[in-house]
Amino acid sequence: MRIKIMLFVTGIAGLLATSPAFAQGAGGAAGGGATNWVAITSGFAMAIASAVCGLAQGKAASAACEGVARNPGARPGIQLFLILAFIFIESLALYTLAIVFLKVK
Amino acid sequence: MPNEQELWLTALMNKFPADPAHPIPNYMAYELLVFLIIVVGALILRSRLSVENPGVFQQAMESVLEFTQGMADEMIGHDGRRYVSMIGTFGLFVALSNLLGLIPTFATPTAAIQVTLGCAMVAFVYYNYHGLRHHGMVGYLKHLCGPMLAIAVLMFPIEVFSNLFRMLSLSVRLWANMLVGDILEGIFTGLIPIFVPALFMALHIFVSVLQAYVFMILPAVYISMAVAEEH
Repeated sequence: MRIKIMLFVTGIAGLLATSPAFAQGAGGAAGGGATNWVAITSGFAMAIASAVCGLAQGKAASAACEGVARNPGARPGIQLFLILAFIFIESLALYTLAIVFLKVK
Repeated sequence: MPNEQELWLTALMNKFPADPAHPIPNYMAYELLVFLIIVVGALILRSRLSVENPGVFQQAMESVLEFTQGMADEMIGHDGRRYVSMIGTFGLFVALSNLLGLIPTFATPTAAIQVTLGCAMVAFVYYNYHGLRHHGMVGYLKHLCGPMLAIAVLMFPIEVFSNLFRMLSLSVRLWANMLVGDILEGIFTGLIPIFVPALFMALHIFVSVLQAYVFMILPAVYISMAVAEEH
């Protein structure tokens, strides 16, 4: 059942994604303008990167909270590793941002 | 983007150009300003040092020094005090550069990739130099080959690549953070000109200090990895 729903949603998404392209193609032939696909895809790239980095940081933060709640004495060490983990997770999203920033005109 | 127009300090420096075809960019002028602030501050501090009645400035700088020493002791451990000067310099330079952009008519030097790449390259050369000094040429190469000789062929390229990649990651992290702070502030000043930009400036201060901390702790981690003894 779930697979069917997923297939349906994917199909709808595919249809939705293609129809503006056709419309744009017709409009482009008439008006001479082209879609800036780089801007559109960079928006999605940034959204995906931010979403997954948010999930990862949430997981790291929850694990750190659990660790501190069980053993408050271990706070300094856990804090250091939490900050380091945040830095490394966050920099992955920032690489996407850097590429977006360099590519979108 | 704030780096596009020429700001007053850059204009002042470009009055005496060495080459009018290549004017001094904003980040260079404000980087030099940060450099001057640090040098003059250090000279003033040095002339006023006293054990009996330390001034406010001296006490503030002593707390910064203690913080850096604590970090070096924690991350590098034995013989960590040797690297305090470099780590502290990174911290001061990056923190002042990040915070400079909050003053109106001043630019953030670290929002330019050239500045952050320069800092990252200095860090790279510094920790590799100390790795070489500590282990010797053969020892450092062996250190890069990993703990087991059997997988050294695999480990060596990975280690070299990850070492080179640290330059990219250090520089891009700081640059992107500062750039995003500037852009966010600009966008929200355009949307709602009063009160709301102050919140983003507060966020920018927090991010600035955090990134300076990061730029202290990561070179410390890299130094500790480069000079680590294998037991």
